[in-house]
Amino acid sequence: MEQARILVVDDDKEIANAIDKLLTMEGYEVIKAYNGMEALDALVANNVQLIILDVMMPKLDGLSTTLKIREKKNIPIIILSAKSEDSDKILGLSMGADDYVTKPFNPQELVARVKSQLRRYMYLGDMGNINHSSQIVVGSICLNKDAKELLVDGEPVKLTPTEYKIMELLMTHAGVVFSAEQIYERVWQEPAYSVENTVMVHIRRIREKIEINPKEPKYLKVVWGIGYKIEKY
Amino acid sequence: MDIKLRNISRNKISKFIAFILVVLLIASSMVQLLYIAYTGINPESIIVKKYKDSKTKFAYEFNYAIQQAYEIISNFPRVPDNIEFLYYIKTDGIETTNSKTYTKEFFSSHKDAFYAYENGTITIGKNTNPSILEWNPYPKFDDLIMYIAFPDDYMQEQQRIWEAGRDKILPLAISITSSLLVSLVLIIYLIAVTGRNPDDDELHFSRFDNVYSEFLILAYIPTIALWCYVMSRLSYYSRYYNTLSLSSTQIYNFIITGLVTAFVTIISGILLLSIVRKIKGKILIKHSLSYKILYTINDFIKSLFDGRRFGVNPLTKTLHKRQVIFIVVSFILVFLTFLFIMVPPFMVIPPILEVVLIYWYVKYNNETYEEINKGFNESLEEQMKSERMKIELITNVSHDLKTPLTSIISYVDLLSKEEDLSETARDYVNILVEKSNRLKNIVSDLFDLAKSTSGDINLDFENIDMKKLIEQTLGDMEDNIVNSGLQIKTYLPDSPLFIRSDGKKLYRVFQNIIDNALKYSLQGTRVFVELEEKDGKAIATIKNISGYEMDFTAEEILQRFNRGDKSRTTDGSGLGLSIAESFTKVCGGKFKIDIDGDMFKVMISFDLV
Repeated sequence: MEQARILVVDDDKEIANAIDKLLTMEGYEVIKAYNGMEALDALVANNVQLIILDVMMPKLDGLSTTLKIREKKNIPIIILSAKSEDSDKILGLSMGADDYVTKPFNPQELVARVKSQLRRYMYLGDMGNINHSSQIVVGSICLNKDAKELLVDGEPVKLTPTEYKIMELLMTHAGVVFSAEQIYERVWQEPAYSVENTVMVHIRRIREKIEINPKEPKYLKVVWGIGYKIEKY
Repeated sequence: MDIKLRNISRNKISKFIAFILVVLLIASSMVQLLYIAYTGINPESIIVKKYKDSKTKFAYEFNYAIQQAYEIISNFPRVPDNIEFLYYIKTDGIETTNSKTYTKEFFSSHKDAFYAYENGTITIGKNTNPSILEWNPYPKFDDLIMYIAFPDDYMQEQQRIWEAGRDKILPLAISITSSLLVSLVLIIYLIAVTGRNPDDDELHFSRFDNVYSEFLILAYIPTIALWCYVMSRLSYYSRYYNTLSLSSTQIYNFIITGLVTAFVTIISGILLLSIVRKIKGKILIKHSLSYKILYTINDFIKSLFDGRRFGVNPLTKTLHKRQVIFIVVSFILVFLTFLFIMVPPFMVIPPILEVVLIYWYVKYNNETYEEINKGFNESLEEQMKSERMKIELITNVSHDLKTPLTSIISYVDLLSKEEDLSETARDYVNILVEKSNRLKNIVSDLFDLAKSTSGDINLDFENIDMKKLIEQTLGDMEDNIVNSGLQIKTYLPDSPLFIRSDGKKLYRVFQNIIDNALKYSLQGTRVFVELEEKDGKAIATIKNISGYEMDFTAEEILQRFNRGDKSRTTDGSGLGLSIAESFTKVCGGKFKIDIDGDMFKVMISFDLV
């Protein structure tokens, strides 16, 4: 297996070093840069497979750097930021970033996200070409209708038949909000009465299986007071 | 016993009976008085037993006799007819008499009715009423001897009539006196108990007391005037019907007297009791029209010149000063206008001055208003600036706290992965991991709270179903609920309750409250989650029984960093309820905490869409 090279960009040297150690321990090769300009230079000089990018940096901030990188390269970018508002996340993702991690982060979570992004980029990157009608892809989740299986970052996830049916319904209509009653009637094929809790419990279980941090889900989201949806990426 | 007596005395029925009795007694007294007047019997006979002692009757008659005697002198030799008395007169050597015997001894033997004038010296009989001398305007002649006496049979006859009259009116007099005395007692009783109820010691006003005090007092004038007029008209008849038997007109008059007196007594009584109640309540003067008018005028004048409220700010103080000058000068000018009406050429001066005054007033006021506006805008700008600075501060502090914390967490994680750590060092690292994670939670909660209270928060308002949101929250927290060993009882409506709010924030609200309930409830108790629709509002209530004594108030628990159990060892930031409150408010709802014994209750209400 080819060793992935990761570029870590943070103006705080201690944080950059910590991430360096963390990822080195996981067997990755790490290059560090301390601002946006250095990051762009490092990208030219090296063959990098993933970038971890801080937002608030001198010279060139993380968001502008993301825009510049996206002009030339399609490698995964994980944004690292102290800003935790939803609007900040949406802004970062819309600039072309693939993931958004808030400071202070859980090191294990960061590692998991790095792995997820790399797996998708390095091994499944060409899967985009095999776009069968029986496959639905949302971000790094892939639903295979023929095999009735769900792949997250290319790895199959064990779902119960009900959980699979819920995922199939939501992924087929990614971005659409379904109420608990609608989900129940379509999945259980029974009239829905007081089903909110049943559906919610299933959603929570699925989330634990497919999300890196189930408390802050990236794909399967609860629209509070309305219903549930799969976020469209 | 006392209470029983009080109950009876303050009873409405007793008061009513007393009032009616007073009316009847006074009315009957008046009828009896009129009857006495109609009989023509001299009322003096009630107190004076003997005719000869009566002032108004006998003394008057005797004086009339003396006056007639003088007339005999001046008109001599003509003598008036119908002379009932005996006389002997000697003047200028001429003697005249109507008595067969005319010695002094004979005259003076009428001890009850004898009068003698002898050359300036007056003597009266031994038993003669001395009050006959009280008025004696008759000329004193030196050369005059005059003896006057009433014959015994005349006196006896008069005494008999006097006694007959006395026998007739004495019982009436006693009856009238006692009636009036009883009335007086009853009136005092009514004055004492009016306004009091058997049930309490409060003063109760009647609807009648709403009439202004002056009107109550003034109402006596027409009432008393009516009575006087009627009574004077009726008693007038007595002079013509001076017989012992009563004519039908007189009987008719008795009825009129009774009715009018009763009516007047009722009105006067009501007025009197109302005034008494007002005196008792110390509102007689306050509750009068003139007091109110004077008070209003006083208030108005005060408000014109009282500038204390405006003294704080120099600008408003100037405005007020100018206003006072304007009012005073305008008043003087109006006064001058009236004065100059008599001198037409000068009449135009005050209006011209008034125009000048208005010009001055408006011009300088506008300047002051502009200054006030400027100051107001400045303070508003300053406020906005400080608000912006506050938000910037939060963002900066947030970044400055989170960056070192990221390092701490990362290096503690790296440290925990070191393999050659001693057992003790590993323990220490575990504590560091735990505490740095808690610090992370506190910092995160703190900034959520700071942002929502400073208003720097992004809200995403949607029409959401509060019922669904509560169900989702409970489903989301199912693991926590099962682990807590507590039971959640939900009472939710059958139909959805739509409100306009930010679902994600509201989820945090319910999550925090339920989390709080799970953390601090007494083991084995139930947590109640209720939702209801009331007065166009969706009201969610979460109730739980606390596992420890809550020695704090609802306000205290919402203070930042206040924790249920005061010891700060367990996890959590202590900001849960504060965040819940702040988020509820920014989402457009109302948040209320109620502590009742060991029950802790949170109420959240939103207007329905």
